[in-house]
Amino acid sequence: MFGYHGRYLRVDLTTEDVVEVALPADVLQNFIGGVGLGTWLLLNEGQPLSDPLASEAPLIFAFSPLVGSPLTTSAKFAVMAKSPLTQRINDSLSSSSFAIAGKKTGYDAFVIVGAASNPTCLVIEPTGCRFVAADECWGQSSERAADLLREQLGKQFRVASIGVAGENLVRFATVSHEGRHAARGGLGAVMGSKRLKAVAVAGDRTVEYAHPHKLVDYSRELSRKSFGPATAKYRELGTATNLLTFNRLGTLPTRNFQASTFEHAEDLSPEAMLTTHSRTRASCAACTIGCEHLYSDPESPDAAVRIEYENLFALGPLCGVSDPDAVLQASRLCDELGLDTISAGATIAFAMECAERGLIDADHLRFGDAQALHQTLRSIATRQGLGELLSHGTRSASREIGQGSEDFAPHVKGLEIPGYEPRALQTMALGFAVTARGADHNRSGAYQVDFSESVDRLHASPAMIPPAIETENEASLFDSLILCKFLRGVFDDKFMAMAEMLRLTAGWDVSPDELHRTAERIVTAKKVYNIWQGWSPDEDMLPKRFLTEQLPDGTGFGATIDESQLRQLVCEYNRARGWSDEGWIPNNQLKVLQIPIPQDYPSLEGSSSATS
Amino acid sequence: MTVRVEFFGIPRQRAGLAMMQIEAGSLGAAVTQIATQFPQLAEECIHADTLHDGYLANVNGLTFTRDPSYPLNDGDTLLILSADVGG
Repeated sequence: MFGYHGRYLRVDLTTEDVVEVALPADVLQNFIGGVGLGTWLLLNEGQPLSDPLASEAPLIFAFSPLVGSPLTTSAKFAVMAKSPLTQRINDSLSSSSFAIAGKKTGYDAFVIVGAASNPTCLVIEPTGCRFVAADECWGQSSERAADLLREQLGKQFRVASIGVAGENLVRFATVSHEGRHAARGGLGAVMGSKRLKAVAVAGDRTVEYAHPHKLVDYSRELSRKSFGPATAKYRELGTATNLLTFNRLGTLPTRNFQASTFEHAEDLSPEAMLTTHSRTRASCAACTIGCEHLYSDPESPDAAVRIEYENLFALGPLCGVSDPDAVLQASRLCDELGLDTISAGATIAFAMECAERGLIDADHLRFGDAQALHQTLRSIATRQGLGELLSHGTRSASREIGQGSEDFAPHVKGLEIPGYEPRALQTMALGFAVTARGADHNRSGAYQVDFSESVDRLHASPAMIPPAIETENEASLFDSLILCKFLRGVFDDKFMAMAEMLRLTAGWDVSPDELHRTAERIVTAKKVYNIWQGWSPDEDMLPKRFLTEQLPDGTGFGATIDESQLRQLVCEYNRARGWSDEGWIPNNQLKVLQIPIPQDYPSLEGSSSATS
Repeated sequence: MTVRVEFFGIPRQRAGLAMMQIEAGSLGAAVTQIATQFPQLAEECIHADTLHDGYLANVNGLTFTRDPSYPLNDGDTLLILSADVGG
């Protein structure tokens, strides 16, 4: 077997039982690694309608055949579990040396079940597992915890850990490593529920590649291309440069999606911050793009703060905050506390609107108030005062607040909407509605279609369906190989390139058409997991604000999403995937795609809503 | 036709300014003029009268296009953008 170890490690934190489990070759070829392999493992290891924070809930770390190879951007790992925020599948990716060291333990994945009785660091090496007390780390930031553990265990260990938010089971807590975060969906809370402060990995087990010399040549050429114009934006300005573009095009969510432009966008832009702040660049391990831009924080001069478009948008315009230093401090707080910046910003923006409407008793909370933003971030992480309500995310908070607030709680399936205004990006609106993880720009790349000549982004049409499917399929492969999506502009033919990478690493003679089938399998398997966990068709819809309120500003002035039209697009999307109009998956498709049918999976044969 | 040109992302970095006005009746004519005025931008973003794949034009914030024959009218605003907007 090339590219893989062919086994995963199953660890029970309650009993401290550790078992090696073989991974069949056909499973690896069908699901590849990363998100694909993690989904297969969740289907095999999970329980129907389970509590994501129950001790038996599985938490998965999955690597891939490309990890450890010389292919640029391949040092990535997937963290997966049922989300305590959405109650649906959650797959978050992170990068850097944990991925390389994790695979060198000799396993393609870790499945962690059970719960420790005390704060614990799970140490995984080729020689076995250890359960190390982590009492000293409990209450510390993920970065500090990693430092303490590496001092104790040795510098060869790489550590993924949670912050205070994860310990306190905040539903959008992160799993962090070297300043990068598997952030979305609250996987840090899943670790916290297991009293698992950290996972530390080290090893020397390498895999063989099918064509090692050709792989080096291919990798060298890919690295050369990655320095080209397709990635210049990420290198020189980072994703944050989207801010001014989105503001100009009226796609920048502002003040809890009440507007699509922000009058202070110029002040927050990286172009402006470069003239007022010192900046350094960094990259993930084994990456030649180097998209990370770290800015000095006047409040904490020793700590540089990563600024990406998503944390900039969520903690800036979405909360009406215009002071770049305040946004830097809010970002640093999220990193230290272990909070997903998108969900944190969106939840506070939602609360600000509730407070301004008099729906909650929080006079201090107003759009634009940076001090209130910082204070609320801390209270969420510690679940004190208003923070307790908000620590469950916007869906849960809006259900508690009521009074019509559900209509403007910005989420789909419980996952807060990222920085792409759906009324002005209506292919993305479809992507937000149907993606298994919830409102998400990394699992559906449909925004790429809106920013192109292919569609009229302000008016939904059936022409949006094929590219929405195509970009979702593409994302599922990028996330399973795993490769950075910022490479997508480098490839002439992405599926051909991915097939070649799998030939050189795993030795598979797989065609681009077969990879399309693999993508379809992975997307469908994620949907199967959701159905198993209680999904219903009405989840595939956006909140009422986007269906009833017209955009009041920007180039999309007057735009709204026609609810019946979006329902029709979702229906046609389902049909195009071979599902029923409502989105149920015929059993014969599961067989054809070789997707395992989990125990107690609801049988839809004979149901009026299922097609055969 | 007087057209306002706005640069974003890498095109702004290479042009060294955020906006300018030019006289052009089509996207191709506008791009050719921009290339002449800003060789550094041209080197990376433009081939003849066409934007490279990584870059995109937008007219009046509404229509994305790369078509050099796309007509520009008096008072139009032409945005020159990086095409990839991943966040």
